[in-house]
Amino acid sequence: MKLNPTQVFLLVAAAIVILAAGPFFLPPFYVRVGQLMLYAAGLGLAWGILGGFAGYASFGHAAFIGVGAFTAGLVEDKFSSLPALLLLPLGLLAGAACCAVLAALIAYPILRLRGTFFAIAMLGVSHVCAELTNNIDFFQGSMGLNFPPIAPAGMDPADFFYEIYLVAALFILLVSWQIRRSRFGAGLLSIREDEDTARMLGVPTERYKRLAFVVSAVLTGVMGVIFAHSLGYITTESVYRDDTNLSLIVYSLLGGMGTLFGPVIGAFLLVFITQVILGRLLDFHLFATGLLLVILVLSAPGGIAGLLKKRKRTAT
Amino acid sequence: MSLLTVEHLSKNFRGLAAIRDVSFAIAAGSITSIIGPNGAGKSTMFNLITGYLPLTAGDIRFQGKRITGMATNRIAELGIARAFQIARPFRDLTVFENVRIGALFGKAGPRDVVATTHRAMELASIAALAGQPASSLTVGQLRHLEVARAIATRADLLLADEPCAGLNPTETAAMIEVLRQVRTSGVTVVLVEHDMPSVMEVSDRVLVLDAGRLIADGSPQEVANDPKVIAAYLGTPDAA
Amino acid sequence: MNLIAQTLADGLVLGGIYALAAVGFSLIFGVLHVINLSHGVLVLMGAYLALIFSEALHIDPLLCIPPVMAVLFCVGYAYQRFLIQHAVDRASLNSMLLTFGVALMLQNAMIWVFSPDMRSITPSYAFTSFKLGPVNLDAVRLSALAASLILLSCLAALLRFSPLGRVIRATAQQTMAARLCGVNVRHVYALTFAVSAAFAGAAGIVIGIILPFSPNDEGGWTLNAFVVVVLGGVGSPAGALIGGLLLGLVSTLTAQYIGPAFPNVTMFLLLVLLLLVRPNGLLGNAFAPSR
Repeated sequence: MKLNPTQVFLLVAAAIVILAAGPFFLPPFYVRVGQLMLYAAGLGLAWGILGGFAGYASFGHAAFIGVGAFTAGLVEDKFSSLPALLLLPLGLLAGAACCAVLAALIAYPILRLRGTFFAIAMLGVSHVCAELTNNIDFFQGSMGLNFPPIAPAGMDPADFFYEIYLVAALFILLVSWQIRRSRFGAGLLSIREDEDTARMLGVPTERYKRLAFVVSAVLTGVMGVIFAHSLGYITTESVYRDDTNLSLIVYSLLGGMGTLFGPVIGAFLLVFITQVILGRLLDFHLFATGLLLVILVLSAPGGIAGLLKKRKRTAT
Repeated sequence: MSLLTVEHLSKNFRGLAAIRDVSFAIAAGSITSIIGPNGAGKSTMFNLITGYLPLTAGDIRFQGKRITGMATNRIAELGIARAFQIARPFRDLTVFENVRIGALFGKAGPRDVVATTHRAMELASIAALAGQPASSLTVGQLRHLEVARAIATRADLLLADEPCAGLNPTETAAMIEVLRQVRTSGVTVVLVEHDMPSVMEVSDRVLVLDAGRLIADGSPQEVANDPKVIAAYLGTPDAA
Repeated sequence: MNLIAQTLADGLVLGGIYALAAVGFSLIFGVLHVINLSHGVLVLMGAYLALIFSEALHIDPLLCIPPVMAVLFCVGYAYQRFLIQHAVDRASLNSMLLTFGVALMLQNAMIWVFSPDMRSITPSYAFTSFKLGPVNLDAVRLSALAASLILLSCLAALLRFSPLGRVIRATAQQTMAARLCGVNVRHVYALTFAVSAAFAGAAGIVIGIILPFSPNDEGGWTLNAFVVVVLGGVGSPAGALIGGLLLGLVSTLTAQYIGPAFPNVTMFLLLVLLLLVRPNGLLGNAFAPSR
């Protein structure tokens, strides 16, 4: 079922309109689920730029969620006299900048590692950031950080954050799309397939990897800032979570690693399963995510996109 | 001026002299074959030219410029491309996308990418396979893909490492024809090969290596009748 | 002077335990080329099982080592043979993801059954200590260290001298050739994993008597094992010992002289440095072909 570009565009436009209208006809529970779906989709897309396109699967991207969130919180605290509407942009800028700097610094050593070593090293980065945030008083990780309410008066904060998440997720989708169809994106795909051969064909592998790493980190941090604001109060455990680290990978695995919409599909599905189907069984979430991952790895390592491709091939 | 000159090249691997004092020049627009018994040093020669291995002594010049000791990707940027015997395609990408990488990132940057890609695929006779994933190709087709991807980089010199190894006669003939088309398009070709009939048929010049030394350098006919070459391959009546 | 001696001694004791806690992980990495992200969970299972046994049967926790190892041996065998084997392929990402998923599941299960509170196992000699020169050593840590060293030596002997050990080493060095000689590679892999799980469980008991533990520690122990392997080398108890001792020393020295918040940070920096400079560790890969 190959759609031509105009059809895809119309489909996406329709989806955006429907999604944007969500808060007006959905009950509050589903608005919150919607928030989580869009949050997850944005994170998944951001992760996918490095993990799906370039093939550098990071097991520790929650690090950037945390860095973004805490940077924003601490900076906004210093400027708390500003009007509420300016705080979010300030936080976004601060969080993004900090993630960019962190990513740029660790890119040099960490991108020299391949495959499993890279994955574990990133898991280590995540754990170290969590530890430092928790143990150093300045970051207030154990005490917790407060975020002032920023929703405009008269608007339900849940609806407000829903729309913000939507805008952010769309932005990341746009960036992801642009990268994929560009020369940069072609280079990333070749790195994923065979980094040494790509290098011999002239692809500037080191530079591209670093760029993908920084872009991925910044976009993840941006989502983290919004997440922190929507919670209102965060501690180390709110943002530096191993199950988040895992979920980011599962979104792409479920929806199709390296594809454009794969992370979105995977994110929507996984959030739906854990929040709606398993909603009441709160204790079961981690268990269910783990179980889903195990089942996926054993039966459908290519995700949904892989299953579709296989059906197409056996049909022809 | 020759496209590639190799002067007094030597390579030692901890006491084993793999290449001993070899000198030759490759003319632009020609097809040159390097032949020799197994272990003669043919692949080592390619590795030295592309900068994959450091040389022990001697000089290599490409388009007049000294490339001795340069990094592999720098040499690739200057216009030397290599097609490997063990093909390394980008498996999950289509044939078109594979070749396009060469066109996007080759020498002189991305210009007319689509046109260059199509041209390279046509020269390598794989235009019909453009939309297929590289993982579905046969060994012979993968060799063609290697060549297509290499020349999409707009290289001036193609080093083809045993392109006909393991191919049946039909596939071999197809590959030889591709190399001819590549030469016609203006790319100089140097190949390492064992398939004698093909070598004799397609080469303008033949270089013969034996135990690291260049023992013959001339037209196919001259080389085929050279007693030193015959001795290297078949041995002399005395050595039993 | 006393402080540095004490810190070093503490580091060595801790290091011996880290070594035991990592050796199973190292073996799996070296033989199966699998990064077992559920390693920490297996360690904790050992600790919790010992907690149950020692409280129910009123025996010394160190005496629980044989039964716990037996249980985890069987668990490990089944886990590898029927689950992980199916996920092993050219990209080791799949086995990592599978084991990560299992880790999450088991961690969650442990939280249900045991609650997320910190627990510890208190042996009867918990409050005795000895003085060796300027250094204070308490009985519990000493016995933990002794247990670790004994177990590590047993594993080394197993790998070096027993038929099982030879088969494991052969399969690790040349899997295809081993197959051609009639080795049932799947069975050997499962046995290797079983041994690894057993030693992980034993490590859990040793850890359980000196440190408080909870299901949330599992990630930390897996990462610990990874660092030990990168530091000391893949696939050998000797490598694990060297890596463990180094890590133990770095931990205590950092905690003492830089600050209690920083041992993991230093460990991580050391990890990255080594991955860049010598990714196969100080002793290298025990199963790599020799010249």
